[in-house]
Amino acid sequence: MAEALRAVRAAARLELEQLGRSRVLVTLVVLEAITFLVLVSLFGLTGSRAPTALIDRDDGPLARSFVDHLDAAHHSFALRPMSADRASEQISSGDILAIITIPSDFGRRVAGAGTSVVPITVDNVNEDLTGDVREAMPSAVTAFAADNNFPGVRVVAVEHDLIDHETGYVAYLVVSALALTAFVVSGILGAVSITREFETRTVTQLRLAPVPAGWLVVGKLLAASCVSAIAVGIAALIVVAGYGVHPDHALGALAVLAICVVIFTSLGACVGALLRRTLPVSALFFGLALPFYVDSGALEPLRFDGEKLWVTGHASPVYSAIGVLQWGFHGLRVTPESVLQNVLVLCLWALASVLVAAAVLSRRVVRQ
Amino acid sequence: MKGIWTMARLDVAIWLRSPWAIAASVIPPAAMLLLVKVLTVAVTAQPVALVIGDPGPQARIMAGFIEADKESYFLKITGEERAQELLEQQRVAAVIEIPKGFDEGVAQGGAKLHYTLNNVDIDVADDIRRSVDRSVAQFDAPQFGAVFRGGLTPPNPYRVDIAETDLRHTDVAFGTYQLLPVLLLLIITLGVLGGALLGSRDHERGTRVFLELTPLRRSSFVVGRLFGTLLITVAFVAPVVVYLTWKGSVAPPPGHWPPFLAVLALTAVLSSAIGTLLGVVLRRAATVALAGVTVASYLFFLGGGFTTIAFLPQWLRAISRGVPTRYAIDSMRQTLFYPDLKGVATDLIALGAFTGAALVCSVLALGRLTR
Repeated sequence: MAEALRAVRAAARLELEQLGRSRVLVTLVVLEAITFLVLVSLFGLTGSRAPTALIDRDDGPLARSFVDHLDAAHHSFALRPMSADRASEQISSGDILAIITIPSDFGRRVAGAGTSVVPITVDNVNEDLTGDVREAMPSAVTAFAADNNFPGVRVVAVEHDLIDHETGYVAYLVVSALALTAFVVSGILGAVSITREFETRTVTQLRLAPVPAGWLVVGKLLAASCVSAIAVGIAALIVVAGYGVHPDHALGALAVLAICVVIFTSLGACVGALLRRTLPVSALFFGLALPFYVDSGALEPLRFDGEKLWVTGHASPVYSAIGVLQWGFHGLRVTPESVLQNVLVLCLWALASVLVAAAVLSRRVVRQ
Repeated sequence: MKGIWTMARLDVAIWLRSPWAIAASVIPPAAMLLLVKVLTVAVTAQPVALVIGDPGPQARIMAGFIEADKESYFLKITGEERAQELLEQQRVAAVIEIPKGFDEGVAQGGAKLHYTLNNVDIDVADDIRRSVDRSVAQFDAPQFGAVFRGGLTPPNPYRVDIAETDLRHTDVAFGTYQLLPVLLLLIITLGVLGGALLGSRDHERGTRVFLELTPLRRSSFVVGRLFGTLLITVAFVAPVVVYLTWKGSVAPPPGHWPPFLAVLALTAVLSSAIGTLLGVVLRRAATVALAGVTVASYLFFLGGGFTTIAFLPQWLRAISRGVPTRYAIDSMRQTLFYPDLKGVATDLIALGAFTGAALVCSVLALGRLTR
């Protein structure tokens, strides 16, 4: 046993030295971890606050009140006051999505119990964005009428929230992205640690070593896991310090990230042993991360997207990982399964991944 | 010229015999395509349960408005207990309840439409909030948003109505809007990874020495390598463009084909030049592949491939001005989705300038390599 431990330690040290000599690779892996956060943030920013020109030709108290209600209409508009000429120029060049013009007689008409017509010009290039803008106008109008107690309004909507706090979309997305970061980083490093042995033909030396080659592979993967954990840790730090997302259950979140690193390093090693080439590894993991990202509840609880996607989502550990991470960071429950069930599933995934990796590596690396 | 052609043919032949290189280039755009397809499902209507607690005529009218709004809700009409179960199991994102006594409330001018919302994040929650507000507005102002001939607007108790003018005749479906930039991503990954992997292959296999010993002029090697990478990109992208045109996904207005093709061509040259540069600088296949995928991702996302740049904060918009693909994606959207070519000339000039700079850098780097 002491000999095995010594072999593991030596292999891990060697792998770390090799990674130390591949500083560009390690830097790129860390960059890849951050890349995912950047990418989902860019996507998240498109989900709300459509850039909208505001031309206020009235500027009276009622017009200003209406503008306030537009601004508060469920994160729908990023209002940019400007002249009509500039608005026209910006909408035709795609810089803004809509132009809202408050007519000069807005206040007079509203105060006189008449109906003021507010023109809105929409760049309906994309029906998703256009739909949000269209639906936001009734929100602003109904809230404006309710706050001003206009008679004749017979129905008002009363909202009851299941959760006592609001979670921003980018804050939600970056937490989900941590699971994908672990997938990409650990998968690539796990795979590369094996493919390198094939490409440099040192796999033969592993087999001829005076200790069981399996221990050497364990050492290599432990080192790859450590480097992955550091890269994922950097991404988690950015989420906390950069995005200001403070975890409700920090230890739980960290533990889940650690389990993810184990799962994905093992699976990465399997992929490496099967492909034996480094070339397609990064594209494969990056490519797989994108569909995983949407079919794992990263954008919203997966069951909202239908039973088929929800059932499919269970085929990857990312689903359970996101379930626990959203609880760990935001205190949210985003899967019908409880946190404990998700943790249990992740532990089973970890066990299965290690066993599968052991079987594949034993056939492809150790014995052949 | 013969030397250039020979070098280009050699590179194309090598690449076509490298299935893993092809896989590495095609996987990211293929995955992005899948992502767009799944997102098309995710961004549409939200699952909502409706509980009708009042059998009166006003309650039925309210329910009718909600049922008719198929753009906003995947509706399940059910009882109160079942609705709570569905909410608990996350089968629905909200429960809308038309309570008992709704009709009475309407008669007294104080009816309430309750809804319980799984406000897990503001994206889901705001979609539902907006939809419920719209349904409520329809009840008291059924002709809300309707402006009749001559500018006449029916009065409503909200005292404000909307007159919407759309810039174009049809909305572009979310899938199509996001799908076409994926074509650019394919060009970017093919060009970047194609050029980069050819460079790293020469280094790792030591075949650069052979290239140096051939009676090939240095300029022929440099131009031939770039031309070869470009040919690889064109060989894969041309059939995709033809297919998308046949399917109707690529249908530029009359006169927009030349600028559209110019965008594709310039992006292909730019990507090939960047890839060639990466191959020369990084040399090792592992780092080149990782760097290629990362560079392609940033070029795509910061260029607005998956986002609308106008939504981003000022500082990010400023950064994106330095990203060449922004001009490619902007001009591509303008040529395909807009009736005029406003800004396309400027975008093409900017894209051309970046392409020229990338070409100069890659030619210099390749030239130094073969010295």
